[in-house]
Amino acid sequence: MKTTFRGLCTALGAVLVLAGAQAKADVLFWSTQAKPVEETQAMRSEVLKGFDGKVNYQANDPGPWLTRVQAEMKAGKGSIQVLGGLHGDFTSLSDGLMDLSKIDLGGVKVNPSFMKLGKLGSKEQKYIPWMQATYIMVANKKALPYLPTGADINALTYDQLIAWAKNLDEKTGSPKFGLPAGPKGLLHRFLQGYLYPSYTGSMVTKFRSPEAVTAWQKLKDLWKYTNPASTGYAFMQEPLLSGAVWVAFDHTARLADALNKRPNDFVAFPAPAGPAGRGFMPVIAGLAIPKTAPDKAAAEKLIKYMLQPSTQIATLRATSFFPVIDVNLPNDMPPSVKASGAAIAKMSGAKDALPALLPMGLGDLGGKFNQVYIDTFQRIILGGQPIKRVLDDEAGTLRALMKKADAPCWAPDAPSKGACPVN
Amino acid sequence: MSDNATFRRRGRWLTGGSVLLLCAWVLGPIYLLFLNSFSSPSAVTGFPKHWLPSFNLDSLQFFIEFQGVASALWNSIQVATLTMVLSIVLGAPAGYALSRFEFRGKSLFRIMVLMTRAFPLPLLALPLAVMYIRVGLDDTPLGLALVHTTLALPFAVLITFSLFSGIPVELEEAAWTMGCTRAQAFRKVVLPLVMPGITASAIFAFVISWNEVFAASVLTVQHRTLTAFLLTSLDVSPLPLKFAGGFVLVLPALIFIFLVRKYLFAMWGIANR
Repeated sequence: MKTTFRGLCTALGAVLVLAGAQAKADVLFWSTQAKPVEETQAMRSEVLKGFDGKVNYQANDPGPWLTRVQAEMKAGKGSIQVLGGLHGDFTSLSDGLMDLSKIDLGGVKVNPSFMKLGKLGSKEQKYIPWMQATYIMVANKKALPYLPTGADINALTYDQLIAWAKNLDEKTGSPKFGLPAGPKGLLHRFLQGYLYPSYTGSMVTKFRSPEAVTAWQKLKDLWKYTNPASTGYAFMQEPLLSGAVWVAFDHTARLADALNKRPNDFVAFPAPAGPAGRGFMPVIAGLAIPKTAPDKAAAEKLIKYMLQPSTQIATLRATSFFPVIDVNLPNDMPPSVKASGAAIAKMSGAKDALPALLPMGLGDLGGKFNQVYIDTFQRIILGGQPIKRVLDDEAGTLRALMKKADAPCWAPDAPSKGACPVN
Repeated sequence: MSDNATFRRRGRWLTGGSVLLLCAWVLGPIYLLFLNSFSSPSAVTGFPKHWLPSFNLDSLQFFIEFQGVASALWNSIQVATLTMVLSIVLGAPAGYALSRFEFRGKSLFRIMVLMTRAFPLPLLALPLAVMYIRVGLDDTPLGLALVHTTLALPFAVLITFSLFSGIPVELEEAAWTMGCTRAQAFRKVVLPLVMPGITASAIFAFVISWNEVFAASVLTVQHRTLTAFLLTSLDVSPLPLKFAGGFVLVLPALIFIFLVRKYLFAMWGIANR
């Protein structure tokens, strides 16, 4: 007993002595993207490998990510060189970000509408678009025979989707449609960017319109044939792989694993359309440099590197996020990229396509904005409360939120002067 | 007579059953973690399940090769060890003082010790990080260990307080009458008696530090702890990697507890030599 004790003490002492040693700093890339370990690994070993210099790529939850950046901005000095995040991650940091309008990108042509978003409503280029993604649908091929007659999987309507889910439920014995409605799922994006625009042509203004009532009624119908375990799902690739769900909606990056592991078993296809169009939500991630970055030249060099065609393609392979520059994709891309790329092209190229942007100008109220949609879902669909009453109720919360943020409307709602109205 | 025997037999069944249940409670999840970490990814998502792993090392291999795991593990060990030492060095004397001396504001002090747990870390993290960056404690094991010590200290103080209270002051007094100084009496009489309890609070401090994520992910950037390094990513990783990562996170803590277990067992009078 005594020797073990002494051994433990020695080990303890050794740890304390060695604790003084420090390693040399690299270019710190502080990001909210490519968080799953496999993607982080691919970012480090595939995407950033070609950069001239060592990069320390750190993927974080948005909470710690933001707190750390804010702390460095407040302290007036920091170690973060390059920030990577979604459009919404940057909105509350605008003042601490360097103007990148003069950055040298080596002649690549970045999508101009995304560049405009990167100004965050100011005159300066706050972030440079980095990559893009969206939400699509994936089905197990076993589900295809149950498609309602006359339905084209690449041009589905919500009514046909409901009929399909009903068929599946009744003919296979259990509900096979799935939504990412778990605590870590992205159901709110389905409601904001898909269901609402498809039925009302709006995300905010027509929140409690008669069209919105129809939309929720349809979702209620669909939910009858939806796997009830959906309230626990975060990444639909998992229930798709396990066979619990045959037809699912989710973010392309959260479906990629299924398409890559068993490419012959799954098909990707566009989200369905409603009376107002085929609502869908493009997601844009960007790169920025905080004013506190210790070596701005190295940071700019890294951003330039990230936007080169070969890096953009490597990023696509690593994260399933698509390039934001004009680039020809090679033929040997992973199955998920080919499948979802085709589905995205069909969706955004459809005649009735109706892009709905991620919420803008809400700053740190973005979470509360999402919560309104989640709450509405829980009250109407899970709680069975009357649609009209819930919508009137939640519209009040939404209106107060928009006023507090003083956020003007974004697409598909018509531009507004001042806060986006909720009629 | 026979009534008594049945009673005793039932008692034995009850004890056995409870022991089994408690063991299953603790070992069940660890077994599942082990099973799924050593199985191939397709076996993890597949059905039906098997009771024995297929000893496929793909998922674990991934973590061994995952860039930065080794240094993150090392950082975690440093921070947890520092936390353990600091919380015992600061907590045990405080516990001793609380149990042996009367002083003004004693009960207030006992409540105030607990107050450090009343503020959520996400709230404190921002000002703390700003201060750390200015002072130069930022991104160091010591800086993070200080935060973790604050979290662990209430437990260290209260555990040692009840330990010292459980040892009759007469024992110490007897030692004094035999010529020991206060310090000698403490070292030769009290310390051996409280060792198991000190170990328990040390383990507590170690585990608190090992498991803490938020402060770690805000206060360390280049020198992340294993939890900060892996946990946020594991959350959104495929199932087989979640299991393997969980295993990687749990294993060092298990080894540590295994190493110090004798000191812990002695607390309940189970000799283990």
